[in-house]
Amino acid sequence: MKKLFSFIRRWWSDFYAIMTHELKMIFSDSGVMVIFFLAGLAYPVIYNLIYANGSVDEMPIAVVDLSGSAESRSFTRKLDATREVDVAYRCTDMEEAERLMKEQKIRGIVMFPKDFDEKLARMEQATISTYADMSSFLYYKNLTMSMNYVMLDEARDIQMERYAAAGYAGEAAVQLVDALPYEENMPYNRTFAYSIFFLSAALMIVLQQTMFYGVSMLAGTMREENRSFAVMPDGLKGRGITRVIAGRGTAYWLIYIILGVYVACLIPYIFGLPQRGEFRDIFTLLMFYIPACVMFSFAFSSVIARRETVFVLFLFFSPVCLFLTGFSWPMESFPAFWRYFAYIFPSTFAARGFINLNTAGADLYMIRPEIIGLTVQTIVYYILSCISIYVENKIIHIKEKKSGSASGQFSTEVANSSNGF
Amino acid sequence: MEFIKNLRDVIRREVRLIRQRPIYLISSVAVMAFCSIFFLTLLRDGQPKDLPVGIVDYDNSSVSRNFTRQLDATQTCNTVQFSSFKEAREAMQTGKVSAICVIPDNMAEDIQANRRPVFTFYVNTLYFVGGTFAYKTILTMVNLTGGAVKREVLRAKGVNEDAIMGRIQPIRIDAHQIGNSTANYSVYLNSVLLPGILELSIILVLVYSLGAELKYGTSRHLMQKAGGSMGAAVLGKLIPYTLLFWSIGIFMDLLLYHWCRFPIEGSIWNMFAGTMVFVLSCEAVAITIIGLLPVLRDAISIAAIYSVLGFSLTGFTFPVEAMAPYIQGLAAAFPLRHYYMFYIQEAMYGTGFAGWHMEIVHLLLFLFVPLISIRRLEKAYVFQNFPRK
Repeated sequence: MKKLFSFIRRWWSDFYAIMTHELKMIFSDSGVMVIFFLAGLAYPVIYNLIYANGSVDEMPIAVVDLSGSAESRSFTRKLDATREVDVAYRCTDMEEAERLMKEQKIRGIVMFPKDFDEKLARMEQATISTYADMSSFLYYKNLTMSMNYVMLDEARDIQMERYAAAGYAGEAAVQLVDALPYEENMPYNRTFAYSIFFLSAALMIVLQQTMFYGVSMLAGTMREENRSFAVMPDGLKGRGITRVIAGRGTAYWLIYIILGVYVACLIPYIFGLPQRGEFRDIFTLLMFYIPACVMFSFAFSSVIARRETVFVLFLFFSPVCLFLTGFSWPMESFPAFWRYFAYIFPSTFAARGFINLNTAGADLYMIRPEIIGLTVQTIVYYILSCISIYVENKIIHIKEKKSGSASGQFSTEVANSSNGF
Repeated sequence: MEFIKNLRDVIRREVRLIRQRPIYLISSVAVMAFCSIFFLTLLRDGQPKDLPVGIVDYDNSSVSRNFTRQLDATQTCNTVQFSSFKEAREAMQTGKVSAICVIPDNMAEDIQANRRPVFTFYVNTLYFVGGTFAYKTILTMVNLTGGAVKREVLRAKGVNEDAIMGRIQPIRIDAHQIGNSTANYSVYLNSVLLPGILELSIILVLVYSLGAELKYGTSRHLMQKAGGSMGAAVLGKLIPYTLLFWSIGIFMDLLLYHWCRFPIEGSIWNMFAGTMVFVLSCEAVAITIIGLLPVLRDAISIAAIYSVLGFSLTGFTFPVEAMAPYIQGLAAAFPLRHYYMFYIQEAMYGTGFAGWHMEIVHLLLFLFVPLISIRRLEKAYVFQNFPRK
């Protein structure tokens, strides 16, 4: 019993010393501070400023009205009245409209053919041609949606007239025109605002990526200076791997739980993003996400031998992780390999969990698959981090023996320069 | 003559460095290869397929089953049956379904009796592409179902088929998509995303390469090889990377517009030219960053923040003109933005030189920016008077 107590006391004091040491390292390193605090605090704000409007309103389009009829003018007026588009130009022919499109003064063309009103008068089907600028999907979406609204509305009026002509009037006509009325609901994000899609996923990515880059920078620095944390267990007679990981991990955890609350709760509050989740639910998600990020960063930072290489080698993973959350291209359409590949990153689960909690108003019970995923990642990456410390420690010892240097200082440098990138 | 000899020495030294340390080739060639494979295979369908759509069928009639079958038969949607709205709602809240259709009780009967039952659907608008496509497909199917009902009634009255179409759908929209006729998401995204990854790779590799001379204290050796000429030093260091990134860029264009057959209105040779100028301006940005901050550790962090922001500020996802006015100006500070404008003109409209010459001028203007910081970098190289750590 006494032994156990003394072990716990010993464990705690080692743990505490390692944690405070790591905190000191973090706060005395300007590069890491830039990544943790400048990037971690500023990215969410910058992204909110960039996507402040959320949707593209009053997108300029040109109308080419070859029919010049009352019907086409009425259609144009209604189109102009939609939130999505603004009829900025009225052109006499297609060439003029095409020129405007190439000059990027307009993002779409709506063309009424010569026989538009004649066909309507003959009760045939009339055609309207649209030409969408595909340089951004939002232009395409705006033109398609506004045309759809106005077309359905106009079609209804025309149908009423036609049925009236065929002898149906009043309620009977309505029943025919609108045999199956529908009601569309777009909960969570009524205007298809880009800010809500993008930010919900990006906020979680910022946490994981800044932590990974910061941890790797520090790990690289320590390896460059021959004081890799892998030598720490030596002072603890080789049995302190858990203490090293727990101590270092807690240091990052402390910083990131604060950053996490800032990113996941304060930022949505400041910028008026939807906040349908309970604070305690989001906090619980963070309690699973942050440790998964810490262990993920520890495991993968073991391949980083030099400080700056993490950006050069791994920065491209930020856009890759973002797409793996499925915020843009739907997960169901991923090839199977990438669907499984996405499980490597804690951000995949966290972004999905956060979107569901915060924007769709789900509760913790509903996001349990994500919580389980994060827990499994934490355990797997913890084991991998232990193994990597153990292996690195052994390598350092082997190199020391080879060079016969007592201090071991010099030899680790050799180890680093020959192993690392 | 002296200059040429010095230049050759520096180039030889740089090629040796590239061969010695794998980081340079990994973070250029391997990164571009991985990202090309990743994004091209991830989005290979072009349009989303088999999006799960929840069906809550309170009617359970032949009409409702027919609707479900037809929705299921579309390429875009896959139906999933739910017995109650609560279950379906939870599936939507957890992102398992892209939309929910609620078919009201007695719908078939009510339609027959002209009681106009209301069909309700919910779209999960939290996932951009999935939501938009599911919305479009369901809207079409609902109108078709309504149309089928009308057709029955009109047929019973003895109206002929042509007149029926005129009554059911008096106006038809003939939609054309300029520059991407099939609304292929992969074409739209990869045409700009991959050049964006190239920008990121160029800036990071060059900042690292130029900064490593300071960090590892090898800059005096470099200056000695260059015969004390900063021009020879920087030019000599840049030439191998320029050739490397030009080849990667041309390979990328070939991959997109030739092998993957992305639509291109103009000529691929103009795309090559544009890509080469784009590579040069990215290099200029890298020199500017390391010159302004001749400490590798800080410069690389700033370079990372800058190049990640480039993706958003290019405006190919969310258009620049919809951003706040004070943000719009910032977009011009990224070569990718100008490349994107160039790409629209050449690949989407095929306007040729007349359409995009200003964008090339903008890209070339970037080449003058390093002039403000090159002296500072030279001092750092010669005196090594900046902190190494």
